[in-house]
Amino acid sequence: MTSAVIEVQKLIDMANQIGEFFAPYAPDQRAEGIRNHLRHYWDPRMREALLHHLDSGGEGLSPEVRAGATLLRDAERTAKQAYAGPPRPRPAGA
Amino acid sequence: MPIPRKPESSVVTTCAYCGVGCGFKAEVSQGRVVRMIPWKEGKANHGHSCVKGRFAFDYYAHPDRVRTPMVRESIDAPWRAVGWDEAITHAAAELKRIQASHGVKSVGAVSSSRCTNEEIFLVQKFARVALRNNNIDNCSRICHSPTQFGLSATLGAGAASQHFDSVLAADVIVVVGANPTEGHPVFGSLMKRRIREGAKLIVLDPRRTETVTSPHCRADVHLPLKPGTNVAVLDSIAHVIVRERLFNRAFIESRCHVAEFETWSALVGDDRYRPEVIGPEAGLDPDAIRRAARLYAAGPNSIIYYGLGVTEHSQGSTGVMCLGNLALACGMLGREGVGVNPLRGQGNVQGGSCLGSWPHMFSGYRFVTDPDVRGSFEQEWGIELDAEPGLRLPNMFDAALTGAFRGMYIQGEDPVQSDPNRAHIVAALKQMECVIVQDLYLTETARYAHVFLPGSSALEKDGTFTNAERRVSRVRKVVEPIAGLADWEITVRLINATGYACHYDHPSQILDEIARTSPAYRGMSYDLIDRVGSVQWPCDESAPEGTEVLHTRTFPRGKANFMLTAYVPTRERVNDRFPLLLTTGRILSQYNVGTQTRRTGNTAWYSEDLLEIHPQDAMARGICDGDRVTVASRIGSVTLKARTSERVNPGLVYTTFHFAQSKANAITTELSDWATNCPEYKVTAVEITKVSPTAPTGATRPEATNDTAEMHP
Repeated sequence: MTSAVIEVQKLIDMANQIGEFFAPYAPDQRAEGIRNHLRHYWDPRMREALLHHLDSGGEGLSPEVRAGATLLRDAERTAKQAYAGPPRPRPAGA
Repeated sequence: MPIPRKPESSVVTTCAYCGVGCGFKAEVSQGRVVRMIPWKEGKANHGHSCVKGRFAFDYYAHPDRVRTPMVRESIDAPWRAVGWDEAITHAAAELKRIQASHGVKSVGAVSSSRCTNEEIFLVQKFARVALRNNNIDNCSRICHSPTQFGLSATLGAGAASQHFDSVLAADVIVVVGANPTEGHPVFGSLMKRRIREGAKLIVLDPRRTETVTSPHCRADVHLPLKPGTNVAVLDSIAHVIVRERLFNRAFIESRCHVAEFETWSALVGDDRYRPEVIGPEAGLDPDAIRRAARLYAAGPNSIIYYGLGVTEHSQGSTGVMCLGNLALACGMLGREGVGVNPLRGQGNVQGGSCLGSWPHMFSGYRFVTDPDVRGSFEQEWGIELDAEPGLRLPNMFDAALTGAFRGMYIQGEDPVQSDPNRAHIVAALKQMECVIVQDLYLTETARYAHVFLPGSSALEKDGTFTNAERRVSRVRKVVEPIAGLADWEITVRLINATGYACHYDHPSQILDEIARTSPAYRGMSYDLIDRVGSVQWPCDESAPEGTEVLHTRTFPRGKANFMLTAYVPTRERVNDRFPLLLTTGRILSQYNVGTQTRRTGNTAWYSEDLLEIHPQDAMARGICDGDRVTVASRIGSVTLKARTSERVNPGLVYTTFHFAQSKANAITTELSDWATNCPEYKVTAVEITKVSPTAPTGATRPEATNDTAEMHP
C-alpha cells in the first residue's frame, strides 16, 4: 500500500501517536489539536494521503484521529483560508 | 607527545564540540594550530575546558581531510577530482534536472550543527529560494527537536531559561536523562561546585552515571527508571506535588492559565500516577519518587537540566512538557537558580533550531504557514515562498523509498552513522539520483554520494555559534580553509548556480540579514559581539546586550500553558526473544559519532565502544568481562566488547556510540517522537549472546555488505 509520498501505514502510525497525545483533552480541543498539528507540521502530500485513506474508510485510524482528520478535511477542502495562519495563543484565563 | 611549538599568534574563538560552547584562544605557529588555551573571559566557561576542546583539535589537519571537490556518475563509480566550478555547476544542474522530472518537492537539504549560524541560515535560504520548497531540516531533528516543541508549548520559548552561572544560585539540582560530567564537562564542573557548597541533587537516569556518583558529586535521590518510563515517573512526581499540595498557587494564578492548571492537576492527580502504581512499572522505589517530588517543590530554588535521555523517546516532546509543567507548578521560573534547561549536544544545535532550518518554521520559530511572517521573508529575499510545510529529515528518507524524493544537499551531517535504522537510511540513499555531501571527510554517508564538496572546520572560517544557554559567540578564522572555501562560501555558490543571485563579502552580512528577519536576534551584530564578548538572545531594543534569564516578568505568550501529559508506553517492548533494554550515552573524551575525536589522540583514553551489562545478566549468558558479544534487536545486530558493570541494573544494557565500526544504529528502531519524529534511540529491546573472540566489531547484518564500497578516491 503506497501513497504518493510515504507509505500509508507509516502515516497511520504517526497520526495515531498524535491522537494518543491529545486523547486526554476535551473532545473539541482534542480534534482541533490533532487538526492543527497535521496542518502545521505535515507536508501537504502527507496530509492528502491521510485524508484519502480517511475517505477510503480510514482503517487503522483511532477514533481521535478520525475526528481530527475530519476537521482537517473540512478545512482543507472547504475553508482553507480561514485557518491558514499559525496556532494563535489562547486568551488569558481560557 | 612532541612539545608544542612556540605560538606566533593566537585567535579567540569558540569550541565546536558540545553545547557549552567554551571560549578558547587558538594558538598558531607556522600556519598550524598548535594549542588551544581556554579563554578566561569566556562567559560560558570562565577559563575552564575539557579534554575534547583542549586537546582534540588535530582532526582539522588529519590526512583524511578531503582537499578537492569530487563527482561521480553513480555510487559504484570511482570518485573524480574536479574544480569547484565544475562540482557546483554539476550539483546544481542535477538538482534542477530532478526537479524538472519529478517536481519541485523531489529534492531537499539538511544543515549541520557543526556549522555556524550563518551557514545554517544560508542552507535554509538555499532550500527556500533556490529549491523553492521547504524540504529543509537540521540535525536537532534527531536530538532536541522535542525541546523546541515541548518548551514552546508550555513556556513559549524553545530554549534554556537560564544562563549556566544560574546553577550557582540553585538549592536543588535536577538532572534528567543527561550526564553532564561526561557530556557537558565544563558545565558539569560548575554544577559540582554548587553541590560541594551544599545543593541537593536529584538524578533521573536508568544508569548509575558519573553524575550520580563521582568525586564531588553524589545524588541525594537517584531514580534509576526503566528506559521509556520518563513521562510516567515525571507525572508521578507531579502527582505527589498536586496531592500533597506542594505547588505554588500564587505563581500559578499570576503567571499561568489557571483553568489549564486545574485540568492538568486532575490528570496527574489521578490514582493511576500514584508512586505506588508507577514505581513498580518503572522499576523504582515509590518512596524515592515521593522524596524527589518533595525536594524539588521545597526548593527554594530548584533547577532542571535535561538531555537526550528525555527527548529521544516516542514521548520525547511529552517528557519535555512534563518538565515545563513541574517548573510552572512549583513557581521555579523567572529568576536566578531555577528554570528548565536543555543540555544541547552539539556546539551549535541551539543555532540550528533558532535559524529556520525547519520544514515548518522560519528563523525565530515562526510558522511558514503564517502569511505575515512569510511575507516578511518574501520582501527580504524578493521571491515568492512555499506556503506549506516541507518534509522532515526522516520523512525525506521515507519518501525516497517511494520515489517521491530523489536528491539531497547534506551539509556536515552523516545520517548513515547518526540516524536510526541504518539499513533503512542506506536503502533510501541508494534510491536517490543525486546526493551532495559537504563534509571534512569521506563519511559513511559519502559512500552513497554523487558529489562531494570538501567543507571547512570551525578553525577555518568566521561566524557565530549559539550555545545551550542561548549565548551567541564568535567563531573566528584561525587558519585558511584547507580545501579553499569556507562552508558559507560553498552554499552561496550553490545558491547562485541554482538560479538565485546573492552575494556576501563576509559572514557578518549574513548575521545582519538574520537580525533583520529574526526578532530574538534583532540587536545582534559582529560589532556588538566583539565589544561585549558574547550575547544571549533575545537581544533587541529592550535588551541591547542580550538576556541572561528568560520569563522574569512574563512569558512570550503572556501566560504559560500546562499541557496534558498522559503516559503512553512505547511500542518497543521486551519479550522472550529480546528480553533486555539497550540505552545509549557518551563518555568524556569522545564526541558524538566520533568523526572528529576519533581522528585525534583522545582515542588513547577510549578506543572502542563497550557494552555495559550487569554481572547477573552476563553470567546467565555465559559472558565474561571483555568477551565479544552480539547485540541483536528486531532491526539488526552488531558486535561489541562486553564490560560487566553494576552501573546498569539487571535487564538494562548500555553502550556509547562514538565509533563508526560499532554501527550502533544498525540496531536502533524506526520508532520516533509523536510530535517531531525525533528517533527513539534510548529504548531498544535486545538480546546479547557471546560470540567467537575473533569476530569483528560492527554490524553483522544485513547492510554490512553495503559498507565494502571503496571509501577513498
